[in-house]
Order: sequence, then structure tokens, then C-alpha cells
Amino acid sequence: MAVKQFLHSKDLKALALSLPGALFIIFFLFIPLATIVVYSFWRTESYTMIADWNLNNYLTILTTKTYLTFLFRSLSMSLAVSFISLIYSWPVAYYIAKYGGRYRLILTMLTAAPFFTGILLRVTAMQQILGPIGVVNMFLSNIGLKPLHLLMYSHYATGLGLIYLWIPFMVLAIYLSLLTFDFKLLDAAMINGASPLRAFWEVTLPLNWIGTCIGLALVFIPTFAATITPKFLGGVNGALYGNILAHQFGSTGTWALGSAMGVLMFTISSLFVFIVFKTVNLNRSGYTGKIAGE
Amino acid sequence: MASINHQASALKTGQVVLLVLLYIFLYFPLLFITYDSFVHNIIWPFPPEWTLEWYQKLLGMSDFHAGLKNSFYIGLFTAIPATLFSTAAVIGLLKYRTRWRGGMILLYISPLFVPGLLIGISTLMFNANVMGMSGKLISAIIANTTEDIAFSFLVILAQLVRYDWRMDEAAMVFGATPAQVFWEVTLPTIWPAILGAFLVSFILAFNNLEISYYNLGAIPTLPTIAWGSLRHGIKPELFALATVINMLVFSAIAGLFFLIQTGMVRFGYRGE
Repeated sequence: MAVKQFLHSKDLKALALSLPGALFIIFFLFIPLATIVVYSFWRTESYTMIADWNLNNYLTILTTKTYLTFLFRSLSMSLAVSFISLIYSWPVAYYIAKYGGRYRLILTMLTAAPFFTGILLRVTAMQQILGPIGVVNMFLSNIGLKPLHLLMYSHYATGLGLIYLWIPFMVLAIYLSLLTFDFKLLDAAMINGASPLRAFWEVTLPLNWIGTCIGLALVFIPTFAATITPKFLGGVNGALYGNILAHQFGSTGTWALGSAMGVLMFTISSLFVFIVFKTVNLNRSGYTGKIAGE
Repeated sequence: MASINHQASALKTGQVVLLVLLYIFLYFPLLFITYDSFVHNIIWPFPPEWTLEWYQKLLGMSDFHAGLKNSFYIGLFTAIPATLFSTAAVIGLLKYRTRWRGGMILLYISPLFVPGLLIGISTLMFNANVMGMSGKLISAIIANTTEDIAFSFLVILAQLVRYDWRMDEAAMVFGATPAQVFWEVTLPTIWPAILGAFLVSFILAFNNLEISYYNLGAIPTLPTIAWGSLRHGIKPELFALATVINMLVFSAIAGLFFLIQTGMVRFGYRGE
């Protein structure tokens, strides 16, 4: 009985300390998100929401070719950016975790630090590098070469800008996963005759796949919602799905349609995260159900 | 065996090259606009004609001071509740093990998986149509707080998983009240983590554009001013602004690094 009471009070203490923030998130993030789900079934007339339940907003998105083109473009962009970040980040994070020694922390913080200077200023900086008057093309034309049209207000420029913005998340997620990885397991695999490639494929990657999936989600989601990067690096035809979504909340005032676009964005992002996490095989991921340090 | 060693060292060299290239990729643009902010000829700035005119223009911009003040308020009043909520939650969840722990941790980090654009538009719709308050500093502060609770939760969690809660129990055994345990045992050990979370939340809210933009209406902040002037083509004053913000951010991170280094040394060790 006494034990039971003790457990009960432990639960109570944990709740008392963690509930305020949880309620804050539920009330000020989840409920607003639920409101746009509701609004996506309403309609807007001269800047007011009218509770006239219908599916027209979704039908509009799914039957308008322009919207579908933007959606498809954003999806391919996000997949490409996530995949390239994944391929690039693995060797980098691996090197820091395995050979970083006492410089591990500083090496990791150096990859994460640019994230804190803000999206807008980083895109501004990227604009000075790419683009027709960016330093790369100015340099090429100064030494008498042709400028690279590829980098001038194109989807490639947007993609490079998005990798620039979000690759720190991928490096960080893989690095944090590798921190708890026991590199001796690799030696064990190789002593037993596995080639380095096979050891990586069958030991390192599965054991760090959850961290990698978190990295994929953290790159895919903001890329899919990108508005600033395509606007400043993509040029006239560079708009992505996020831009037309944001546009609905600007001067047009078509909030209900914009809400439906938002719901669709959230659904597709969640679907991506769901599919990615479906590939996690808990039996091979080293998952013990415990937090490190217990 | 020799060829495997050879392969391994080639692989290692390749990794170093990729790491160095990543640093160049991440820092060259930032360093280049810092350089740009000090030269007169920004389009092709070689050879440089040094000048401080962009900094003077920045100071002369009409809403620069209002923007700085508003950004500072958003940073501060987001960081305070975000840090308080997440510190309490991490302590509660790590110190007292409960069956809701996993779910609670998921809830706390879930804002990371909602893009800023969606937080921005959904809080705009909610505040404007349900709460009847839009275009206020407080709406931007609340919306930023939801996202930054998640970031500061992660920062504190990452540090506190190493904390040895038996120290608290030991203090209790010797008759300390829960408040005494917190102020005299827990806090002196974990404060670097809390300060780190505060700085991270402050910087993120201070620099936030997407969440704040939709909630602020016509109220200027530094990122919305930068956004406004960028739309009318590149303005060199922005390079000056970017340089000032980068300097602040990097000195804060350098300080944070120093604290983590010294703080980690003290983790779990309370030698007299």
C-alpha cells in the first residue's frame, strides 16, 4: 500500500512539473492547427470566414493544374534536398563522432552555429554568392569565362540554398545517434570477416537508422514548407508550394483555401515521416526502450 | 590487411575533405557578406574600397530602432517561458519516472515537426478569428514560445540525461526540503544547461521571421525589416545588419560552448 502511494505521488510530481508546458503546446499550437483543419472546410468571402461546410477548397487544389505542379515541384525538391543532405552528412558526422576526440563538441557546434543566424540573413548571404551578380558568376566573368546559368535564379540555386539552411540538422541528428554507438561493434564484425562496407551496411547503419530518420524528417519538413529561399534564389519561375500557400494569406485573403493547402502540406509531411519511420526495424535498431544514461 | 589499412586511411582523408568543404560551404557566404558590409563597391568588391557607410545607413533607417526593440522583446519574453516550461518538464520527467514519460517527451518535441510557416498561419487564423487579437506582439511571443519550448527542451534533456538524481535523494535523506534540494543541489549543477536553453530560445525567437511575420501585422522586427527591404532588391545596409546579428549570435554560441565545457566538467561532481 505504501509503495503504491509512493508511486502515485511520483506520477503526480512528474505531471505537476511537465503538464504546464504540455498544456501550453496543446492550447497554442495544436488547437490553432485544428482550427485550420476546420477552416479548410469553410469558405472566405470578403475577408471573413463563413461556416458553410464544403469540400470545394480541396477540390480546387486537386483540380487546378498550377497548384498540383507546385505541389509536385515542392515534393521533388524536398526529396532531393533530404537525400543529398543525408548522403553528405553521414561521412561528416561519422568522422566527427569517431575521430573528433576532444574536439567533437566544437566541430559539431561549428556545423550547427550558422542555423542560429536566421533564415533570412542566410538566404541573403547565399544570394551574394549565387545569382547573376553573385560572387561566383562575377568571378567567372572577370576571368573571361561564361557565367553559370545553373546558379542564376533557378531551382538548382533554391535547392543549394535549402541544403545550406538545413544540412546542419542532418549532421546533428546523425552525430547525436553515433555518440551512443559503440564503435567496437564494428571491429567485432570485421574480425569475424565482414568487409568494411558490409560492416557499415549491417551494423552501423541499422543501429543509427532512427537518428538518421529524425534527420530526414527535420530536413524534409522545413524544405517542403520553404517560402523565403525559393522567393530570393528561385527567380521568376522559382515559386514552390509554400509560396502559393503564403500568398493566400496575403492580399488575396482566401484564407479557407490557404487553410486547405496548409492541411495538405501537413498531411504530406506527416505521411513522409510515417513512411520513413516504417523502415525502422526495432529489432535491429538497438532500441531498448530506455533513455541513455539509465 | 595492408590494403584495408590503405583503404581506411583514404576513406578517412575523404571524410576530412567533406568536413572541410562543409565548413567552407556554411561559412564562406557569412564571411563574404561581412566583408561586403565594409566595402563601398558591393557588386564586385575587389579591390576593396573600405567604408562604414552601410552601418551609418543602417542606424539611420527609420524603423531600425523600433525593430531592434521589438525583436529583443520577442526574444526575451519567448525565452523566459520556454526555458521555465522545459526545465520543469525535463526535471519532472527524468527525476520521477512515470508511464507517461515517452508520450510527454514526444509531445514536447512535436513542435519541431511543424514547419514555421504552418505555425505562423495557424496561429494567425486562431488569433484573428477565435481570440479576436491579431497584429500584437503578444501573439508572436506565444507562437514563438510553442516552437522554442521544443528546442530548449532538447537542449536541457541532452544535458540532464547525465545528471545523477541520487544527489537529490542524498540531500533529502539529510533533511533538505524539496525547495532546498532544487536551489542548493540541482540548480547549481544544471544551470549551464538552463542558460544554454535560454540563449537558444532567445536567438531563435529574436531572428524568427516566418512565425512572427504572420502574427505581427505592421509591427516591425529586425527580420521583417530585412524582409521588407530585400523585396526591393539587395540593400547593402542588410549586410551590415547581418554582420551585427552574426557577431552577436557567434559570441553567444562561443560563450555557450565555454559554459558547456566547464559545466560538463562539473556534471555529477560536487567536490567540496
